[in-house]
This record gives sequence, structure tokens and C-alpha cells, in this order.
Amino acid sequence: MNAARFGEILRLLAENDVEFIVVGMTAGVLQGAPVTTIDLDIVHRRAPENVARLLRVLREIDAVYRHDRRNLQPKESHLVSPGHQLLTTAYGDLDCLGTIDDDLGYDELLGSVREIELAGGVVVKVLSLPALIRSKERAARPKDLAALPALRATLDEISRRPPDADS
Amino acid sequence: MSSESSADEWIPSERDIDENGIDRAQIRAMLALSPADRLKRIEEFVQSLLEIRQLNERRTIR
Repeated sequence: MNAARFGEILRLLAENDVEFIVVGMTAGVLQGAPVTTIDLDIVHRRAPENVARLLRVLREIDAVYRHDRRNLQPKESHLVSPGHQLLTTAYGDLDCLGTIDDDLGYDELLGSVREIELAGGVVVKVLSLPALIRSKERAARPKDLAALPALRATLDEISRRPPDADS
Repeated sequence: MSSESSADEWIPSERDIDENGIDRAQIRAMLALSPADRLKRIEEFVQSLLEIRQLNERRTIR
């Protein structure tokens, strides 16, 4: 990884019509949670045509497996699987997740997303805060449980805002 | 401005800290930002970690 430019990764994915959902703590931050993370997690649609578009972007940002000294590049067979591809890129660490919470893929998560506009009019799908909280509750690892109070408090603060407040 | 009052600005009011120790003022400050600016905060955090990591790689162990 040479730099942390998650916004650039998201822009490239969106402009190349990759179907994906931002999950993990970046989804929390985008919705106002005062938490932090060192990577960008996405769940991508595993249809072959979408994986082909995703692969084009991954090649453009020099994506290789993060914990592999051979600098192996992800392939179609990896990205159509439900597994987690932990990558490092020129713009930061990127996890391409086939599914989360054991078996929830892109299509299953679509009902729990909201669209958020970033710089330059780039619109991305982001796992909603309630769904992110449910996901962290199910995962129940110490790091997930540690994040829950901040995520729940953010949801509570949003509920106290005027309905027209941009969140 | 005295150094004391300057330091006080960084101490959240007790009423902003909820029963779980979460600083609600920090959340409200995040909510006041645009999503793009929130994303920029993560990028700045990770960038600072990268710089620390690179500085450590250059250190000579004597």
C-alpha cells in the first residue's frame, strides 16, 4: 500500500459500474460513527460479468493478496467464491467479501443499504447502520463488540436529529 | 487565551459522555460533516499510520 485513498477506490468501482456494497467500519464512518478502520470492506455481486468489471479495477489499482509475499493477484475464481479476499492496493487495503455473516451476499444485503453521495457526485451503496449493528452483534468478536456502543450511540443521535437533517 | 482554557476546549463536557463512555459531541461533530469529509478522516488516519510504519522501517537498530 502506498497511500490511503479509499475515496479513489470507491470512485473507480462506481465509474466502472461494479455492483458492490460498502460494509464494515467504513460503512459506519460514512454514516457518522466516530470509529476508525485501516481498510475498506466491500461485498461485491458475484455474477461473472460484475466480477470481470471488479477485476479490471483491481488490476488498475495493483491489487495483490495482502498476506502473501508472492504478490499473487486475485482471479475470477477467487472473486466468484463466497470467501474473503484480503487485498492490498496502491490506494489502500481493500477486502472484497463474497459474503458476510456466513451467507449474506450482495443480493441478500440489498434490502439493507442506503445510498451515499461522495465527492464528485459518486454514489455508493452502504450497509445501513442498523444492519451494520446487527452484523457486528452476530459476529460478536471482541473487536465487533467493542465497536457496538459507538455505533448504537450514532444511531441514537441520528434518530434525535430533525427529519430533514442530512446524515 | 491561556493554556488552561485552551486545554479545556479539548475536554468534553460531562453531559456529552453517555453511560457507555461514548462522547456524543464527537458523534454530532461527525454527523455535521459530509460523507466525503468523514471518508477523508479515515484516509488521514491510515496515511498517518503508513508514515509511522515507513519511519520505523528506516530506523537503524543499534
